[in-house]
Amino acid sequence: MAIPLVPKLLRAHLAELAAEDMRHDGRGRFESRDVELEIDCLTRADGSARVRMGDTIVFAGVKFQIMKPYPDRPNQGGLMCSAEVRPVAGRQWEPGPPSPQSIELGRVVDRGIRESGCINTEDLCIIPGEKAWQVILDLFAVSDDGNLFDAFALAAIAALKSATVPAERFEAGEDMPLEVSKTPIMCSYHKVGGRFVYDADRREELGGDERIHITLGDDDHVHSLQKGLKGIFTAAEFAEIMNEARSRCAELRDLVDKAIEGE
Amino acid sequence: MGGYGDVQCIDENGIRLDGRKIDEVRPMSIEVGVVPVADGSARMTWGLNDVIAAVYGPMEAHPRKIQRQDRAVLDVRYNMAPFSTTDRIRPGFNRRSREISKVTAEALESVVLTELYPRSKIRVEIEIICAEAGTRCAGITAASVALAHAGIPMTDLVVSVASGKVHDIVVCDLNKEEDNYGEADLPMGILPNSGELVFLQMDGDLSPDQFQEAWDYNMEAAKVVHKHMVEALKRGEA
Repeated sequence: MAIPLVPKLLRAHLAELAAEDMRHDGRGRFESRDVELEIDCLTRADGSARVRMGDTIVFAGVKFQIMKPYPDRPNQGGLMCSAEVRPVAGRQWEPGPPSPQSIELGRVVDRGIRESGCINTEDLCIIPGEKAWQVILDLFAVSDDGNLFDAFALAAIAALKSATVPAERFEAGEDMPLEVSKTPIMCSYHKVGGRFVYDADRREELGGDERIHITLGDDDHVHSLQKGLKGIFTAAEFAEIMNEARSRCAELRDLVDKAIEGE
Repeated sequence: MGGYGDVQCIDENGIRLDGRKIDEVRPMSIEVGVVPVADGSARMTWGLNDVIAAVYGPMEAHPRKIQRQDRAVLDVRYNMAPFSTTDRIRPGFNRRSREISKVTAEALESVVLTELYPRSKIRVEIEIICAEAGTRCAGITAASVALAHAGIPMTDLVVSVASGKVHDIVVCDLNKEEDNYGEADLPMGILPNSGELVFLQMDGDLSPDQFQEAWDYNMEAAKVVHKHMVEALKRGEA
């Protein structure tokens, strides 16, 4: 990513606003931008979702491949999640091999889904030791106006929940829905002007400090945490955002469930 | 361009697999402003193709060695998303996407008034998120709409369409089966106001008459596509 311009002025501006408990776009501290979720929006994908949070827009696409199970897990299939932020998504994103930022994005989303156990890899086995399904989840950013993490995570779980295993195309039986037993949801908080805010936009990311990503599963179980960027936070600050994350994750889980039910 | 196998692309009444007549263009839609953080953008659906084009710039060109003293450089990238085809595509550039990026850049450079922005760079990003056939044509078309949406001065839009041949019959605007099993493909980039060309490729086998027929189909199809482009830009203005 290119070095952002005038972050000092921006930081000072955001700090002034924070002192008045305000944000530059008029939102409350833990208020999100408008969220839109659409599923089954990519014809060639076996499962897909589009998420829009303000001016941040992402797609998630699921594809299946046949793999040979790993020798130490002969009765299990695989799950692979990768994020690509191509230069289409913003002038700060440059062409070339995946940047550390986009690798971190993919891995943090991957951990939340994997560790929640929402996909039972044993269900993906076709013939033990010989054939199994590999689920490949590709995350693709169209427009980055901040908080790609939450947008990717939301698109990821919605795409998985809408996916169909294309068994007929691979001559491996009948098509069937992919079994996804849980709905892990990520909520991200950025330190802006000395306090954490939810769903930071691009300007708040530029003029802010550290960020914390929390993925909660059903029943508020914690499945992944990640602290990114330079910064120091207290236990009390973390307790506060964890508490906020619980109620916000529940709301977003409802949004996913409604989109899947309405299919 | 392979054999047909069992696929019959046109029936005895001259109706194609997707229900079109041989001179008919696939349904399409164009919308501008789909990448809110970009300076200009467009999304085009064309048959099952779904393409997003975004424009950034003019901006400083770096590294300096890519700068041109007398004009802007167009930095064009064509890419297919991993989930855009039946079999997943491994992310990253390949020889096909490099070639398409190159000919697309050269087509667009022919209309953009690059001499107005010396030493600068204009980035054009073309992302195929769903592919049927004719993604390069949809990409060039969407990119020229995105450039216009970004307010980049151009002498004309570029309309790109492809016609070809299946079962020895010339057809307009190839679909997936016709592209896979057909005998010829003729994509062109046309300037709608003058009928001049800025992009031309062809592969396959066409007789002189068939070539002329395919050429004429493209010229007619370009008028249909152009109408959609202009309407999308006008809607974006409102």
